[in-house]
Amino acid sequence: MEFPGVLANDDISLDIKKGEVFALVGENGAGKSTLMNILYGINEPTDGEVLIGGKKVEAFSPKTAIGLGVGMVHQHFMLVPSFTVAQNIVMSMEPKKYGFLFDNRAAERKTQELVNTYGLQVDPSAVVREISVGLQQRVEILKTLYRGAKILILDEPTAVLTPQETDELFDVIRRVVRERGMTVIIITHKLYEVMAISDRVGVMRKGRLVGVKNTCDTDEKDLASMMVGRPVLYDDLEKTGTAGENRIAVEHLTVTDNRGLIAVNDLSLAVHAGEILGIAAIEGNGQSELLEAITGMRKPERGTVRIMGQDVTGKSPDQIRAVGLAHIPEDRISTGISAPASVTDNLMVGKHDDKEFNLFGFHQRRSTIERYAREIYEKFDIRGAGLDSDVGSMSGGNMQKVVVAREFSFDTPVLIISQPTRGVDVGAIEFIHKAIIEKRNSGAAILLCSADLDEVFRLSDRIITMYEGKVTGSFAADAITKEEIGYYMTGDRSEKEARA
Amino acid sequence: MNEFSELLKSILSPGTFNEMLRRATPVAIAALGGALTEHAGIMNIGMDGMILMGAFFGVLGSFLFSSAWAGLAFAILIGVLVGLFYALFVIKFRSDEFIIGCALNTFALGLTSYMSRAIFGTSGAKGYPSLPDLHLGVIGKIPFFGGVIDGHSLFVYVAVLLVVILWVFVYKTPAGFHLRAAGEKPETLRTAGLSPDRMKWIASVLCGVLCSIAGAHLSLGYLNGTFAENMSNSRGFVAFACVIFGGANPIKTYLASLMFGFFDAIGLRLQGTISSDLTGIIPYAITVIMMVYVVIRSNRRKKHAQKRDPKAAGGAA
Amino acid sequence: MKEKTPVLVRYRYLFSLLVSVLLAFGIGAIILAASGFAPLQAYGAMLRGAFDSARHVGDLLEYAMVLCICGLACVLGARVGIFNVGGEGQLLLGAIFACQIGIWLDGMSPWLVIPLAALGAMAVGAAYAFIPGVLKVKVKVNEVITTIMLNTIAAFLCQYLAKGPWKNANKNLVAATSQLNADYWFGKLIPRSNLTTAVFAAAVIAFLVWYVMQKTSKGFEMKIVGQNPRFAFFSGIKTDRLVLICMLISGAMCGLVGMFRVYGVEHLYKSSVSNDYYFEAIMVAMIASYQPVAVILLSLFFAILKIGAQGMELIGIPSQIYLILQTVIIFFMAAESGIMASIDAAAQRRRAKAAAQQRQKEAQA
Repeated sequence: MEFPGVLANDDISLDIKKGEVFALVGENGAGKSTLMNILYGINEPTDGEVLIGGKKVEAFSPKTAIGLGVGMVHQHFMLVPSFTVAQNIVMSMEPKKYGFLFDNRAAERKTQELVNTYGLQVDPSAVVREISVGLQQRVEILKTLYRGAKILILDEPTAVLTPQETDELFDVIRRVVRERGMTVIIITHKLYEVMAISDRVGVMRKGRLVGVKNTCDTDEKDLASMMVGRPVLYDDLEKTGTAGENRIAVEHLTVTDNRGLIAVNDLSLAVHAGEILGIAAIEGNGQSELLEAITGMRKPERGTVRIMGQDVTGKSPDQIRAVGLAHIPEDRISTGISAPASVTDNLMVGKHDDKEFNLFGFHQRRSTIERYAREIYEKFDIRGAGLDSDVGSMSGGNMQKVVVAREFSFDTPVLIISQPTRGVDVGAIEFIHKAIIEKRNSGAAILLCSADLDEVFRLSDRIITMYEGKVTGSFAADAITKEEIGYYMTGDRSEKEARA
Repeated sequence: MNEFSELLKSILSPGTFNEMLRRATPVAIAALGGALTEHAGIMNIGMDGMILMGAFFGVLGSFLFSSAWAGLAFAILIGVLVGLFYALFVIKFRSDEFIIGCALNTFALGLTSYMSRAIFGTSGAKGYPSLPDLHLGVIGKIPFFGGVIDGHSLFVYVAVLLVVILWVFVYKTPAGFHLRAAGEKPETLRTAGLSPDRMKWIASVLCGVLCSIAGAHLSLGYLNGTFAENMSNSRGFVAFACVIFGGANPIKTYLASLMFGFFDAIGLRLQGTISSDLTGIIPYAITVIMMVYVVIRSNRRKKHAQKRDPKAAGGAA
Repeated sequence: MKEKTPVLVRYRYLFSLLVSVLLAFGIGAIILAASGFAPLQAYGAMLRGAFDSARHVGDLLEYAMVLCICGLACVLGARVGIFNVGGEGQLLLGAIFACQIGIWLDGMSPWLVIPLAALGAMAVGAAYAFIPGVLKVKVKVNEVITTIMLNTIAAFLCQYLAKGPWKNANKNLVAATSQLNADYWFGKLIPRSNLTTAVFAAAVIAFLVWYVMQKTSKGFEMKIVGQNPRFAFFSGIKTDRLVLICMLISGAMCGLVGMFRVYGVEHLYKSSVSNDYYFEAIMVAMIASYQPVAVILLSLFFAILKIGAQGMELIGIPSQIYLILQTVIIFFMAAESGIMASIDAAAQRRRAKAAAQQRQKEAQA
């Protein structure tokens, strides 16, 4: 599969056996989803062939795939929110009465039968919009079972699940494999899950399949170095100076997510000048909403946020930025850039009102702007088709450099950084990490959030763990190991200890 | 006081409701088509042009074949073509549906006016075979009710039938489920091995046909075989308002068109008391208020969901 | 290679426009021929109709002015991502209020009345645009639908005023206000044509809109807000305020066009001050890809078509043919990227197929 200019999957040969759990791992953008989308017929390969159950796939379409017994649970659920569970499950194979009417009762009955057979509890008549994400995932799995799937593809199924829900999901996987002889392919980037559930594991990197191993013959460290293509060893970054005064103070903050559910629950934290506070948490535990509430992208329900000693709770981003904050957002494409605008324009946003770039305060001085942009472009070693080309046409790494270059050039005393190197190549990672440490050493207070635990450990002075919207632990970075911190990221430690 | 009760009497007379039904029907039939495209996720502004095409080609067919039924068939055929044309641009070429809708309205105005003048020589045509009025015999004798529903043109009754058929289609058949899924979340269909675009094509063509029928009813039934330049007279936009008001539910959409028809009808009754232009505003104002209310309510529901469901509120994701 | 893309894009746009126009005239020729007219003669009559007299040139310039200012009003909203479809209503309300101000202040100096009428028209237009604007920004109600409803409401309201409280004394004019004092009429630039001194004001407005959008930091902000509102908000731009302000200015411009129509051409309010002109202007703005300069040029082009079409009436051809020409151009321009994409996709499929066959041959060999 080739996207314009990008080779997403490059010459991959892979066999998956009946009745096994096969894990496919790799970093974001390694091509895992593309490979599975080809298997499910959503994408068509530019070259090569696919055989399912010994049959060569001729016409790539989901219809063919379903016919061959392939079922896929997508990362973003394919459910119609206003339909009931049963209506979603039977879609495309609806039971009918009188030959043309939708038989809702039969749909619910069949759903209930599936529920009973597989032990996946869900109310057939519930409306999908009103049930939790974990239940929605069950509906997705039931849907593939209803369609008679023998091969089940799960695309990052645990990203949105709580640990309990993950455990339940894994039970289901084991059961369908054992009792029904199903084949399960699970895409993930969480290595401990690979170790927990899979029989074999394939590792992808930059569109290539770099290795397939029996899970029992490998370990997380081994897989990790295969994923990034080198032993995970960075040079030590030189950290200088000591922490100074308090610059970010969050107290008793409560924030809701887009669905109105509580995402951050009565949370407090503090970040000081000259230190990096890292947040370690599994996706969907409120860290995104927390950073959005601090930067003004989201209105908190309760609590206070103070930046540089000033109360900025519920203020808008322009007011908060004025106090002295810059922000690298977690999703650069939706929030960090304007894709159709040029590199120059993207670097200028936020500075466009500055006196030096405007004659009489309103007439843009294009030559000054271009000179400035060129300077930043070179300083941050951005590589692309030039300052006039669209940012949207750049690679992920260079796009991220544009974001970093712009936000860092504000020279603010406070930085909020989220997923600074997601989907970014190794060279750019090193560059961005050094830039972040440089900011820290020059006295900025930095709040960092990353799904990459290595990154959190490498950059942070202190680390807090978040789980279900609460801080579950707080540590000096050198006083805890990655293995230990895993406990805190998957639940309230104190609670577990109390129970034990 | 006496004056007021007189007025009320004239408003609530069978005549008013008869007029309401008469005026609502052309809009209602078109709005039913609009409900289908709305469900398929297409904002259809082009209904006015579709009605106009149906109105003109209905009369043209009636003129060419000397039969109102042939005119109706001709209009339906044109409706299919217009629906296909609309779908080609909006679905196949992914053009802006608003611009295509606007352009279709203007195109229909240009084409029908031009052809009307080229063929009939004037900007209108009159007196060609028309669709029959129906008299209901005994039912027509029922006090009040009989006076309301008796003696209308054929499609006033067909419209009610269409409401039922489309309601069943949208909410009770597998195809209806696919149609709604195509508008609400097309990916679900794609990953189920079905084509959301196919549902959108079907909705567009059905909308073209229904709007054409509305137009043919307008020229051949409502006005007894008459075509006048721009005779759709923004009914397509009224139909659009009905679709929005009725949330694209065929029954509610039909009721919305009755509401528009009612305010249209009492405008005549109230002449000399209140200007019909002011009463004409009322249904549009109600539609805007409804839209705002619907959005605010759905926002409030989200907040309430959290309070009602403490377990979900405690959950992480 | 990529550095040149903007130039290529511009050429592609001009190329598409040229092809669309040629296709439109081709299709128009077929329709004309089918209905028994000689196409070349018809188009000749159209050209003559537009340029044969100073009066017609004046009329077309006036119409181009209306399209241009309305089109720019639409562009102004579109640039920040709000689609003002309500210009028609804003225009009508601006027209009737401007007219009524002139009637109320009858007898006062034109130097007072004309500016007040212009301000009044702009205020009314802006106020009417405020409703959908604030609903969009604060409540997130789709502005396209609300403005469509508000257009009808405005049309009813104006008709009510013109028939009722503000009706003229003359019984023969059914839905119209009284005529303005001739002192307040804009001076004619070309005798007997519709072209008046209002065109200078329009030129200044067009220049200002172009200047602000293309050359200033506010225009830069507008562009970013329109391209990615979340990014703009994130970067500290006051997006809601900017969107609302642009909507208000857009409404004010439409209201002012209404005033131009009354003080320049009609001299009283009746519904013919606008005949869905704003909808035509939206289409112009769209074909112009929402670029100010292109809006100005295309307004002229469409004005030539419209006024020229009246010349076709002289040889017995229904002038409505121009609506067909115009909309065919719009259909093609709106579908341009879709058509191109289909062609590209087809070519790609062909290439892939050829490549696969090639490989198969190689494998067999």
